[in-house]
Amino acid sequence: MIKANFVGSCCHPSPRSRVICAGGDCNIKYAIQGQNLSYSVTVKKLIGVQKMVFPILKDCSLHVPVGQLWMLLGPNGCGKSTLLKILAGLLNPTSGNVIVRKPRSFVFQNPDHQVVMPTVEADVSFGLGKLNLTADEVRARVEKALKTVGMSEYLQRPVQTLSGGQKQRVAIAGALAESCKVLLLDELTTFLDETDQMGVVEAIRNCLGGPDQVSALWVTHRLEELKYADGAIYMEDGRVIMDGDVSNVAHLISRKQADYLAS
Amino acid sequence: MSCKLCSSPTVSFLSDSGRTSIRQSFRYQVPFVISPLCTSSRLSWSGKVPKPPKRRSLGILAMAQGNGEREKWLMWLPRGPVAERVFRLIAGAMSSPVGQYVSSPVTFLHVVDSRVKLAWLLALVVLPSRSHIVMRFGLVAFLAVMSVWVLPKDVWTDQLGRVTLLSGILFLMLGFGSDSAPPLVQLRTPPPSLMGLPELPLSGYSYSILKLGPLQLTRKGLSVASTSACLSFTIFQSASLCLTTTTPEQLAYALQWFMIPLKFVGVPVAEIILTLLLSLRFISIVFDEVRNAAMAIVSRRIKWEQLTVMETLDIFIMYVRRIFANIFKHAEQITQAMIVRGFRGDSNIHKIYFFSNTSFGIADMISLLGLLGLIGASIVSEQILV
Ligand SMILES: Nc1ncnc2c1ncn2[C@@H]1O[C@H](COP(=O)(O)OP(=O)(O)OP(=O)(O)O)[C@@H](O)[C@H]1O
Ligand SMILES: [Mg+2]
Repeated sequence: MIKANFVGSCCHPSPRSRVICAGGDCNIKYAIQGQNLSYSVTVKKLIGVQKMVFPILKDCSLHVPVGQLWMLLGPNGCGKSTLLKILAGLLNPTSGNVIVRKPRSFVFQNPDHQVVMPTVEADVSFGLGKLNLTADEVRARVEKALKTVGMSEYLQRPVQTLSGGQKQRVAIAGALAESCKVLLLDELTTFLDETDQMGVVEAIRNCLGGPDQVSALWVTHRLEELKYADGAIYMEDGRVIMDGDVSNVAHLISRKQADYLAS
Repeated sequence: MSCKLCSSPTVSFLSDSGRTSIRQSFRYQVPFVISPLCTSSRLSWSGKVPKPPKRRSLGILAMAQGNGEREKWLMWLPRGPVAERVFRLIAGAMSSPVGQYVSSPVTFLHVVDSRVKLAWLLALVVLPSRSHIVMRFGLVAFLAVMSVWVLPKDVWTDQLGRVTLLSGILFLMLGFGSDSAPPLVQLRTPPPSLMGLPELPLSGYSYSILKLGPLQLTRKGLSVASTSACLSFTIFQSASLCLTTTTPEQLAYALQWFMIPLKFVGVPVAEIILTLLLSLRFISIVFDEVRNAAMAIVSRRIKWEQLTVMETLDIFIMYVRRIFANIFKHAEQITQAMIVRGFRGDSNIHKIYFFSNTSFGIADMISLLGLLGLIGASIVSEQILV
């Protein structure tokens, strides 16, 4: 039996936190900046006293320019979700610095984890509770967000009667309704079918730029989504192997696939 | 030390389908020690289960003995694994949570303000216990008609069937049970003739209404039974009627509205409402989790017949442990989601928006008037019809 124990597992951004969030006043070119990020968990064995430090992220650096959509790719378990959680401020990195524009929103890999309220409209409006809006504004935003993901008819549906893909779209609508400057999206399209998938990517694309200079980092396994991206990052085993141009990354991945098939 | 149990004579029964075989070890014939190694090796589902050295089919044996016909006793053996059936039952029962909001056909009840519905609910809980029997049965009939009229067919058949069964059982048990008890435990008032009183000239009145052998339905029994059966029917049916036509948010809004006065006493209303909403969401997650874990076990195709009682118990314990672990994980993830979505722990600052139309419409007026009429009628019935 293994008991996992996060190093510095603290969900609230503590004063000691090394996560530095630039407010709107900071004049930065990048929406997301991560420098030499490392993250490890301490695995404590119940039987026996020895602790093991288990590195998940090793010296990752990444830069996502303002107003762009970047994709983050990599095999299962390479640490994409962990990296995204660090960028979202949910985890504190063991070492390294993070600078992310605020406000930012984060969509979990599993929509069941994201959806907090029992009915669709209440859940989409949950994130707006901190913003001091009037009821009409909230209603307008919720309707717009649900329309963007094609769920307008589902306003009053109980969440547990939705399918996986519909739940995921509700989760996306919740993030869109907040109209944040940075969107951190973890494998949004896993539960979606082909047309929905492209619809969601396009919906996200349409949110980008604008007066707020919205930017997004998108984790995916689907290579066909790469054509919507302005840049890509490829990770393997907790390290950033390559980042930058989409075509280079796509080339690297297809070469790796070819190698895998050949071996 | 080798385990003797594995090499004990093992017999397999052929069930009807002929596919499932039940292996049984005659432990009473084998006075050996059962090694813990044996149990642990059998415990692993994927692990190799030591093959029994000898296999005889009792089904064939029984057929041979009984002139080609299967012996009666074979029919009484448990057919198919019970444990698997239990898991299948759990998986099936959890697929439709009770009292879920039905949004598709928008009816009169969907339009009515949730606060009015809550007032109705309260009245329907209080009234049956404080009014005449005619009134009680009237309420039951009213609720039944309402359910049939408002809800889709499969929903009302399901709900009414369940509630009617429950209150029917309650009615029969209490009706015949409350006064059929031997007179020793009853209040012993001597008959009037013994006390030298003249008999009252009562005609058309009899304490006993119906007699079925040793059971008898008396006036007291009828009163007790009708009260409790009607009460349970109205409570359950009105609650599920309310739940199927009101979203959890609307209910929470109504509760909040009624709880506003409590704010001045220092009750954390906002926190209570948020907790209520979160738990309403969480209930469905728990249902899902229980179902999924049961499905996972069913789909593993465990050979239940080969497991001992302890091993089956072990699987059940593992099942419960997994459910709890998953639920705690879910709770953790949802707190993370709430933090990410801007909740900072103060429910007074973090507003929850309710989209219910707060304007008071015609439908609300009508149903409020109906409620007042009902309360009036029940008071009148108590005064006059006694
Ligand atoms: N609490 C924890 N304790 C121990 N190890 C963990 C913990 N959380 C994550 N890990 C490990 O960290 C690694 C990275 O996990 P992560 O969820 O970031 O992967 P991922 O790249 O998102 O994979 P996927 O593509 O499957 O979503 C995995 O090997 C996982 O086992
Ligand atoms: Mg992941």
